[in-house]
Amino acid sequence: MDLDKAKQTFIIEAQELLGAMEEALLTVEGQADQAEAVNAMFRAVHTIKGSAGLFGLDGIVHFSHTVESVMDRVRSHQLSLSSALVSLVLECHDHLSQMIADLQGGDPEPPASREVGQGLVNRLLPFLEGKGVEAGSAAPVVSRQTSKVPESEQGSWHISARFGADVLRNGMDPLSFIRFLGTLGTIIHMAPFVDGLPGGEAFDPETCYYGFELDLETDADRQTIEDVFEFVREDSRIRIIPPHSKVEEYIQLIRDLPEEERLLGETLVAGGSITAKDLEECLQRQKQESYEGGSVQGRLLGTILIEDQAVPPPVVAAALDKQKKFQERQAHELKVVKVQADKLDKLVDLVGELVIAGATAKVLAGQTRDDRMMESTAIINNLVEAIRDTALGLRMVQIGETFNRFRRIVRDVSKELGKSIDLEIHGAETELDKSIVEKLSDPLMHIVRNSIDHGIEPLEIRKARGKPDAGTLSLNASHESGSILIEVSDDGGGLNRSKILAKAMERGLISAGSAPSDQEVCNLIFEPGFSTADSVSNLSGRGVGMDVVRRNIDELRGNIEIETEEGLGTNIRIRLPLTLAIIDGFRVGVNHASYVVPLDMVIECLDLGPFLESEENHLINLRGEVLPFLRLREVFRINEEPPQRERVVVVQYGETRAGLVVDKLLGEFQAVIKPLGGLFRQIRGIGGSTILGSGEVALILDVPQLVQLATEQKHAPLKRLPALPVIG
Amino acid sequence: MADLMQLNKRLSQTAATAEKRGQFLAFTLGGEMFAMDIRSIKEVIQFVSLTEVPLVPDFIRGVINLRGSVVPVIDISVRFGRTVTEIGRRTCIVIVEVDYNEESSVLGILVDSVSEVLEIGESEIEPAPSFGSSLRADFIAGVGKVNGKFIIILSVNRVLSVDEMASIGVSHDTNE
Repeated sequence: MDLDKAKQTFIIEAQELLGAMEEALLTVEGQADQAEAVNAMFRAVHTIKGSAGLFGLDGIVHFSHTVESVMDRVRSHQLSLSSALVSLVLECHDHLSQMIADLQGGDPEPPASREVGQGLVNRLLPFLEGKGVEAGSAAPVVSRQTSKVPESEQGSWHISARFGADVLRNGMDPLSFIRFLGTLGTIIHMAPFVDGLPGGEAFDPETCYYGFELDLETDADRQTIEDVFEFVREDSRIRIIPPHSKVEEYIQLIRDLPEEERLLGETLVAGGSITAKDLEECLQRQKQESYEGGSVQGRLLGTILIEDQAVPPPVVAAALDKQKKFQERQAHELKVVKVQADKLDKLVDLVGELVIAGATAKVLAGQTRDDRMMESTAIINNLVEAIRDTALGLRMVQIGETFNRFRRIVRDVSKELGKSIDLEIHGAETELDKSIVEKLSDPLMHIVRNSIDHGIEPLEIRKARGKPDAGTLSLNASHESGSILIEVSDDGGGLNRSKILAKAMERGLISAGSAPSDQEVCNLIFEPGFSTADSVSNLSGRGVGMDVVRRNIDELRGNIEIETEEGLGTNIRIRLPLTLAIIDGFRVGVNHASYVVPLDMVIECLDLGPFLESEENHLINLRGEVLPFLRLREVFRINEEPPQRERVVVVQYGETRAGLVVDKLLGEFQAVIKPLGGLFRQIRGIGGSTILGSGEVALILDVPQLVQLATEQKHAPLKRLPALPVIG
Repeated sequence: MADLMQLNKRLSQTAATAEKRGQFLAFTLGGEMFAMDIRSIKEVIQFVSLTEVPLVPDFIRGVINLRGSVVPVIDISVRFGRTVTEIGRRTCIVIVEVDYNEESSVLGILVDSVSEVLEIGESEIEPAPSFGSSLRADFIAGVGKVNGKFIIILSVNRVLSVDEMASIGVSHDTNE
């Protein structure tokens, strides 16, 4: 069972590594300095190979070894990373992912997968037969023959292992480590250590008493050897002593390190003479000893390292020497904790309930007119607010990961279509709620595919139009007054107005002779089943898609708009709320009901009377600026007399400003958003609901939709800011 | 109120054993008695003030707060093409769970009053009459015979079909 758990860890890690590898592969082309990306790929394959070896997954070891060997040659500049090689390694990446997926599915290495693997290995082989440099590896598989260190300098590593008592119980077999060490190089000498073995009844067959002393000849580095023991490190004592020849090397390395402030341990780690884990362990021991001994300092780190034989004395001396030159400084690093997503969701749900309960308490405290009671509920509510923000912040993720997935798609799809397309990504660090990101990737995929397939023209047309050969597709994300703006733009052919109009008339969506505005024409492509593509490709053109896109975006309480210039390109803008869970709201009253406006959109509040410019045209004069307004009671068709004194809430979203005329202003409050459910999926102007402190339900207004609705009802023309397209 | 509590207790007790002899909640609506299978009923609550939702078909009376969830309330009388249900002293909201997109959706039904839980054997249930009823045929699951009287058993999933009700919203919205 524990082995399964360890395997699960391996699978998750492998998937992460493969993700990193894919990203590196997709970004490496066109980069001036490829070293980092190449290293990332190498590390990924290398680590997967190492861990797979522990589980005896020979198929993965075998395959990744070949890939690794190729990457190694790239790393040591014996091979250049051509586009063909990148494509091939991408295929290898896919195959590795598949093997990992098969593993998770419980069927490691189905025959079909083996064939694919062999095919890829055969295609990799030519890359292993070096062009010129070093005779290298004739037999690429099984043992590493490309050696960076000349044979004479290569001493043997001494590995001393004392396994923890629970190793067997944890599902590890000590023999597998020896077996795997054998794949790293040649085991010259090995002596088992069984002194701890008790006799008679004291012997517990489930306890591990085993240990060994082993000499290994290999050109693998320390980290590689140490990784072998990754799963037993915690409860076993593993000492890895470098070959003598390496000591000199380490000293040299440490001296060559860039000049920056480091602690002794860090210097040693950077020089490669100990690994981070060694250091951690020794520091732990240092701390513990100083605690036990009652002294402040404990033994010095260097002493511990030497006495425990982790590092030969001269190496420590060199490192200490280097350390002396600089002041001690704490390394500032980003620490990350992984948490399951559903735990976070649960937390956010609870915080939502807490906010409602807090609001109720506040209402009740207000009724008691007890100052101390009111004060303490106010403090609690401030804390709740802080907790709410923090909890929601936990769920925020960067959109970059989603964007990066498109690199692969753009690459594959553009190859398939024979188009050359550059993908530009801006604002990858923009954060938004995880639940939104998840629901966003499908609609984005539709849009990106549409842009590649229909937007960006074939090469001949681009040339004829005098555009650069390579089309550009860009994905941008940015924050904009309480919402997030995602733009997908291309420099392709744009939407063809006459084609869309013809199609719309054919389908009876508009009547002949009507002259819809550009925006209305654009919106036609969101109609179900609408496609102007002449031929149906396997990518798009079936007309399923854009209506689904709009529905998905609507479900996220977002809106989508298109700006297009025929022949120049298309820009699709998606605006989304930052979060789906809790918002700061502004409560307004109309008739008997109260509604909530997202506070981020509220600019100011005023009386309608003094600012009214034209009742007929629904305009107010806001200190010289003419603003259109809509009456909620008119839009919602509430046929009752409005009160004497009406109020205006000035709202802004994107570039649009408008006034909402209401009966009463009821103040700010935190709204926990409760979805209205499938029954209300066609409702417009309402984005959701929330529960007030009194227990009543209030509806949350979807301002963009509301304005659109009012425009359709022909109540108020929208204010157009100069040179910017209007929404709706 | 005490009646309701007893009724809810009965609902929760009988839900498990309702398999063999069908159990049905009888209620009145516009002077007529109806019944529905109690397996889809979660509870019955007294009428509480509801929040009206603008621009929706008339049969959606509004939404209520049911212990933290927002639940829509349907006036099935309007859905049957009859008059709007007046709110009275005995008006209740029957909370039901209906299938929606392979999940379930919780809705409330406005009724004039609830009377009792009836046991009706399968043999006492006749199929819906093919014509003559003022209700749409597919709304009727069957006609039960209780003490020599006939009582219409509603098909909850048809009467409260979320898909159908939501799409009625569309035509209502766009016929301007």
